[in-house]
Order: sequence, then C-alpha cells, then structure tokens
Amino acid sequence: MQTTLQSSTTFSRPESGFTVFWRAFRKSRTGLVGLIMLAIAIFVALFAPAIAPYENAAATSVGIADIYQPPSAAHILGTDDAGQDVFTNFIFGARVSLTVGFFAAFISIFIGGIFGLVAGFFGGRWETFLMRLTDVMLVIPDLPLTVVIVALTKPSLMNIIFVIGILGWTTTARVVRSQTLAVKSRKFVLRARAIGAGRLHILTRHVLPLVMPILVVQAVLAISLAILNESTLSFIGLGDPTAPSWGQMLNFAFGRGAMSVGAWWALVVPGFGIVWVVLSLTLLGQGLEQVLNPRLDTHHLMPGRPKVGTEAQAAHPARDIILDVRNISIHYINEGKPPARAVENVSLSLREGDLLGLVGESGCGKTTLMLSLLNLLPAAGQVVNGNVYYKGRDLTAMNEDEINNIRWSRISIIFQGAMNALNPVRTVGDQIAEAILKHNPAFPKNKVPERVAELLDLVGIASAHSDHFPHQYSGGMRQRAMIAMALACNPDVVIADEPTTALDVMIQAQILELLDELRKKLGLSVIFVTHDLGVVAELCDRVLVMYGGVTAEYAGVDTIYNEPKHPYTQELLKAFPDLTKPKKKLSSIPGYPPRLDDLPAGCRFAPRCPAVFDRCQMEEPGLHVLKNDHHVGCHLAEGSK
Amino acid sequence: MKKPANAKFLETRGLKKYFDAGKRWIFSPNIKKVHAVDGVSLTLRRSEVLALVGESGCGKTTLGLMLMGLEEPTDGTIFFEGRDITHLADHERKDLRRKIQMVFQDPYESLNPTQTVKEIISEPLHVHNIGESQQERDERVIKALEDAGLKPADTYLTRFPHELSGGQRQRVVIAAALVLEPEIIVADEPVSMLDVSIRAEVINLLAELRISRQIAVIFITHDLGSVGFFADRVAVMYLGRIVEIGTMLDVLERPQHPYTKALLSVIPVPNPRLRHERIILKGETPNPVEIPPGCRFHPRCPVAFDACRLSDPPMTTVSKTHQAACLLMPK
Repeated sequence: MQTTLQSSTTFSRPESGFTVFWRAFRKSRTGLVGLIMLAIAIFVALFAPAIAPYENAAATSVGIADIYQPPSAAHILGTDDAGQDVFTNFIFGARVSLTVGFFAAFISIFIGGIFGLVAGFFGGRWETFLMRLTDVMLVIPDLPLTVVIVALTKPSLMNIIFVIGILGWTTTARVVRSQTLAVKSRKFVLRARAIGAGRLHILTRHVLPLVMPILVVQAVLAISLAILNESTLSFIGLGDPTAPSWGQMLNFAFGRGAMSVGAWWALVVPGFGIVWVVLSLTLLGQGLEQVLNPRLDTHHLMPGRPKVGTEAQAAHPARDIILDVRNISIHYINEGKPPARAVENVSLSLREGDLLGLVGESGCGKTTLMLSLLNLLPAAGQVVNGNVYYKGRDLTAMNEDEINNIRWSRISIIFQGAMNALNPVRTVGDQIAEAILKHNPAFPKNKVPERVAELLDLVGIASAHSDHFPHQYSGGMRQRAMIAMALACNPDVVIADEPTTALDVMIQAQILELLDELRKKLGLSVIFVTHDLGVVAELCDRVLVMYGGVTAEYAGVDTIYNEPKHPYTQELLKAFPDLTKPKKKLSSIPGYPPRLDDLPAGCRFAPRCPAVFDRCQMEEPGLHVLKNDHHVGCHLAEGSK
Repeated sequence: MKKPANAKFLETRGLKKYFDAGKRWIFSPNIKKVHAVDGVSLTLRRSEVLALVGESGCGKTTLGLMLMGLEEPTDGTIFFEGRDITHLADHERKDLRRKIQMVFQDPYESLNPTQTVKEIISEPLHVHNIGESQQERDERVIKALEDAGLKPADTYLTRFPHELSGGQRQRVVIAAALVLEPEIIVADEPVSMLDVSIRAEVINLLAELRISRQIAVIFITHDLGSVGFFADRVAVMYLGRIVEIGTMLDVLERPQHPYTKALLSVIPVPNPRLRHERIILKGETPNPVEIPPGCRFHPRCPVAFDACRLSDPPMTTVSKTHQAACLLMPK
C-alpha cells in the first residue's frame, strides 16, 4: 500500500518542494554563508589528494632541521613535530573530522528520530520506557563516558564513530518527541483516523513530513557536536592513530613542545579547521531553522517605520469627535512584489460615547486599519497617506515616545483570541497589574491589588479569581479579563477586534451586553470590529462596511440595515439567516474577496457584484455622500440623494 | 439505495461517555469523572438533517466522536442499520468508516499543510483500496471536488491548503469526505470559523448534498440561527443530555425548555428595528465533573423553582415529534 501511495505523490506539481524550500533558504544570509563554508570544507576533504602539496602522512625528509619549520615557500603553513607539512595534514585531517561528524550524526539522528517518533506517537509504555532511558542518558555526562568507552575499546575510527553516535541521540529524541506530540494532536490527524487510515499510514504520511524539518536542523547540529567530540577525544590522545584528524594534530603539537618552541602554526591551523566547520554548521543550522521551523515564522508587531509623506497639520475637528481618521491609506511593502494596498482612502469619525461597528470579511483591511491607529503595524506596513486625529492631535505625526503615552492609556485595544493574548505562566491579576503599572509607573504600589479587584469586578469576574492562571479561566472569562486589561488605564477609546468571534452565542451575548454597559457607565467610545453584521445591529450607532481595503458604505445603523445602497451590504444582509422565514435557501455571495496585492482595475467588488455594469470594470467608484451622512462607494449611488 | 426513507438508520440508546478527571492516585481509588455525555438516546433517519445544538462543554462534540468510533463509549449502544457498532475492532470498523464521515470545525487545522488538494482527496481512496486504476481514482477525485463546488476541479488539484481561502478549505474537507460516498456526514461546527458571507455557501452545499446524494447530516453547532434553514429536526443539548428534541418548526416556533428559549433569544438579528428582549443566561455551562442535583439546568434557569433542585425532569412528550425535559411543561 505504501508503494502505491508513493507513486501517486509524484503526480505533477507546479514546483517541487525543494524549489520552494530553496527560494526561502536563499534569503537567509546566515544559512547561505554556512552552506558555502561547509561546501568548501567538503570540497577540500573530497579532493584532498589533489589539493595537498605532499602525500598524506609522508615525512618529507625526517631530520631535526625539519621539525617545526615556520611557514616557507616549500611548506606554506610550516611543518609539525614530525617534520611533516602542516598544510597537507590539515587537508587530510578534514577528511577524518568530516567522516566522523557525518557518520556519527547519522547514527544519533537515526536512533533519536525513531525513539522520539515512537515515544511521541504511540505513547503509553513505550513512551515511559524510552523517555526514562533518555533521562538516564542525559544525566550521565557524555564526555567522560565516551572517554571511558573509547579507552576500553580499541581506539579505531569505527569505534569512535559508533560511540559518539550512540551517545548523541538524546536531544534529538526529546525534540522529535515533542514535535510528534504537537503534530499528533492536530485535527488533520483526527480526520485521517476518521477516514479509516491505520497508524502506520498516519505516521508516515502525516506525522513524518511535519517532523522532518526539525530532524534536518537537528542533524546539522549533531554533525557539529560529533566533530567537536571527536576533536576532544583525539586531543586527549584517544584518536585513531592511523587516521590523523585535526584533534590529533592539536594533540601532537601540544604534547610535543610546539608551545615551547613558538610553533604557533602547528596549533592554529587545526584549530582553525575545527572552528571553520563547526561555525559553518551552526550558521547552516540557524538558516535552516529559520526556513523550516514553522514556529519561528511569525511576523511580530513592531513600531512602524518612518512614514512616507506625513506632515503634522493643524486640525479643527468638530467638538465632540474624539477620534477622526481622514483619508488613511496603508500599504504592505514586500520586496520584489507589488505593494499590498490593505487600506485605501478610508475616513471615519468616532464621537464621544459612540459605538462604531467596523464590518468586513477577513482580509478586508479592518484589523490593519485598527493597528495603524495605535502605530502597531507590522514592519512591512506603512501609512502612505492620511492622518489620524485623537482629540485634535495627529497620531501619525507622533514619534514612538509620544504615541506610547496615548497607546493603551488613552486608546486601548481588545485583541481577538484571548487565549493567545494572555501569558499562560502568569496569573491574570498579575497581568492586569502590569498593564496598570506599565503605563502609569507613578501608580501607588499598595493600591494596585485594589484596582485589579475593581477592574475585575467591572467586567463581572469575582476578585477571588485574580490569582488564577489563564488556563483555569473559561473562554468567556478570558475575554472578560482582556477587557479588564484594556480598561486598566481608564482609556477614552477602546478598540474591540473581533472580541466574540470564537465564542458561543450565549457567551457572545454576555460580552456584548458587558461592552454596552461599560460604554454607558464609563462613557467609553468603542470601535467594534467584526465580520458579522448581525452582532453589531443591536448596539451600534454607526456602521462602516469595508470591502477589499476601501469603504463600501458608512452610515447610521438604521440606514445600513434598512436602506443599504451598496450591493455588497445588500448581499451581506441577504446571506444572513432569517429565522422568521426558515427553509428559505440562503443566498451567498459567489466568489472570494480580492487579494490586496492583486486588485481588480475598477471597483474592487465588481467581480462578485450582482449589479455590475461596464463602468465598474474600468473606473474605481468615489465615495458619494447621500443625505443623513450616508457614504456609499458605488457608481450606482452617484447623483442619488 | 432504495430503502424506506424513515427506517431507523442510526440510533443511540443511553449513550454515555465519562472521562477521568485527573490522575488516579494510590490512596484515592474513587476519582472524579467528567460526565461529557450522560445518557443520550436519539435516532437519525436516512437522508435526514439532524442539528445538535448546545454551548461548548455540553458534550455535542464527544457525542459526534463516539458516532464516528473515535471515542469509546462508557455505556450505552449505537446501532447502524440495526447492527450494534458500539465496540468494534479497527478492522471491523474500516468498512463502516466509508459510510460515516466527519467534517471538522477548523478548516485551517484539519488539512495537512504538506499535502496538495489532490493528495488530500485521494488519500481515503488509497486507505480503502478503492478504484481499479489511477485513472478511475482521478475521476473520483475530480467528481468529489466538483460536487463540493470547487470548479473547475483541475485548477485546485495541485494547490496546497495555504493557497486556499477558508471557504475553499472547508470545501476540500467536505470533498475528502464525499470521495468515499458516505451515507452519513457528521459535521462538527463546520461554519463557525468562517466569515458570515461564506457560511451560507457551505450550509447550502450540505443542503444540496443531502438532496443530490441522499446523505444524512448530523450538524453540530452552538448557533441555533445557522441551522434553521436545512435541519429537519433539532436536538438541544445541555450538560451531556438532550433537553429538547423536535422538528425544526417545533423547536423554533414552540420551544418548551427555558434553555432553548434563551438560545433562541440571543440569535443576532441583523435589524436594529427588531431589537428584542434577550434572555442572557448568567455564567457558563457548569463543570461537567459535578453535575447539579435535580434538573441540571436549574442554577442558570431564569424560571427555576424549588422542585427543580430536587427532581431530575424526564423527557416529556409535547407532540408526536416533539419532546422536552422540564418540570414546567404541562402534563
């Protein structure tokens, strides 16, 4: 069965996995340098007889005069204690060191890989046995054990390879086991079981491909460890005398007076070899890890880069507008690719005590827009145009220090996915206290617990739960804790980014009710980001519907739901289940939202629009303002009142 | 395929699943149990859509996994076409797996990121040794993709999951289930991770499949609002038990149990003019380790009275198609 599976995978792919890997790896400078350094070392080792000026281990002419000769034309790196050419020995030493490294690493990775996979995948007694064995092996110091075993057996190259290999599997076994456990718990493994796949099938087809990258990185590191171990063994005189490695060169030079006669070349040259290879492998390992380890592949939130073309303008906003976003455009700049126009020319204003709903599908730019308000865009994101005024001050013109005074203490944000936004190893109360003190260092320390209890009470959590860890909280409570953190510094504006998306309907209703209460009690202004038009209908004052990075429609809540003018809003409302008319087929919007780096020429909604006509394909519609402050980004709204 | 449409097809009797809460210690032989599913009896008819509704922690997912044979029931029995399938060895279950397939909640997690769409969908065929030739298998893969609404199918074959949108991924998961030509699909929250605009198309797809392929669907969800369209019957679960079951109209229009009424009231209505009274229950589903005495819903019930703390209400018949378990129901 396995063979038939294998043959089906050779089915035509657009590009092989290796091509994809290579394209990513090429970008890692450390990895490339390591690879080139290693390639040079391997080249030297392979073609040693051709490169070396003398024959291996052949004393050119043994005489006292030849011992420890400094570098000269005949011996470019001098001679050693036996009058042999150091350069020649160095070249042939590379062969021995690399051979030991590769073979020993192969043995460790093989054993460690199998032990880790079996322990992680099958669990139970196998896991207990193998992991206890690993623990015991880890407790025994490697090097003395290696020394003892090699000293007891004949110090041949083969023995050295085996001993180093067999003692070096423990780290690999642990790393592979934890990766296997992580992969095993993923849903696609459960789905494979539901299909009826056996264990062997799941292990080879689902677990191994995801463990492989980590195994490769481990292998590279194991090689460098094995080379170091071999050098140490040789240096203390336990190397194979018939196969002189770099470690042995060091041993001979050190033991036979190179230091006393000042023959530095006999020590520096082999040392350089060891450093070169180990460094190359470490760099290569680092480069591979960057490309292969999915856990490192995240883009972090960073302070934005200097912005293009922003200047502080004197603003005169209407009196009670607290946050005023004017014509903001944000692009993600990717090297060698067209910029992704994530947000273009979006304006909104938030009045004191208002609740504004920001609605759109995933990838419509709504989260980008919100992050830009706090200057929290990922490094590739840039505000290319427009201004954000908070009480008349332009946030886009502020430096990092100035914005730090506003971020969280004046404008705070409740992130989506409360579990990931809380630190799992600290208590919830501790994290709320941190939020208070970080933005208000002068806050009296003895009042902090009181304030934490007050905040928890505000969001409906008994203060007894303050000492609990996030995993002891339910999903709804975690979201409440996130709200408490957002309120820690008495902000004026709270941005709630999909705060209820992963929650059950009942908990969702509780959270919405809480936000509405807090808004009335504390006079907060709230921007509520969601993909669900139904959620915001009950509490919003105004709604901004975004599509593909632009404003589709922006109006008061009643207008949006009862007199929508943009076809997208109309379609969204139709896609909504209406329980008063059950058994009616749901209407869905065909197609998918546009990719922001590959937008259609005219209106961004044109490819999915039921009311599309010629002009939409060519000309991007402007934002038309109708009565009651109703903004519509559609050609059809032009001229209507 | 011609079998009576209302014949008992899948049936559970008193199904229970208890998990151990914590590890067993030498000195404490009686360890606490998590009562995930605590006595569920229901039937599914051929090509019927049954919605299983409840909050997280009510046991609806565990129930689905037991029907799939992915969790071993602690007690009770499951019958499929009259045959007891409660405890089967792996090789006995293999043929059954073809007939009962599952669609999971998170289309991002339930696809292996290193496999192409073609590999994902042809995998079940290899596992079950279906198809005489590669060509026949390819045809089946294409048909499954097209039935799942991914047209033209050949443009999707070589793509990897990360190159697809959420809705497309969920269609791939459905296609991988369809390729085995199942008779039942257990769909565990198939749309709750998707945007509203995409939810409709996945629900419509399942609704079409039950008509075109006569597939029965068990639709597990926390959102009563999303099942109104195509469910024939709705079962509302609370803390491991079914508290109300009936046809869709029974439950939506004549809800009997206070829990059902509360769930109905919090469905978001996309119209500010229809702002209505919502019954927002306090707290969350209690810990299923310590089930409240009496009616298990009484601590959160807005209309609970003294008797509710003492007696556990039995399932009472409202009409031929409608049952609920509440002491307030007219006898």
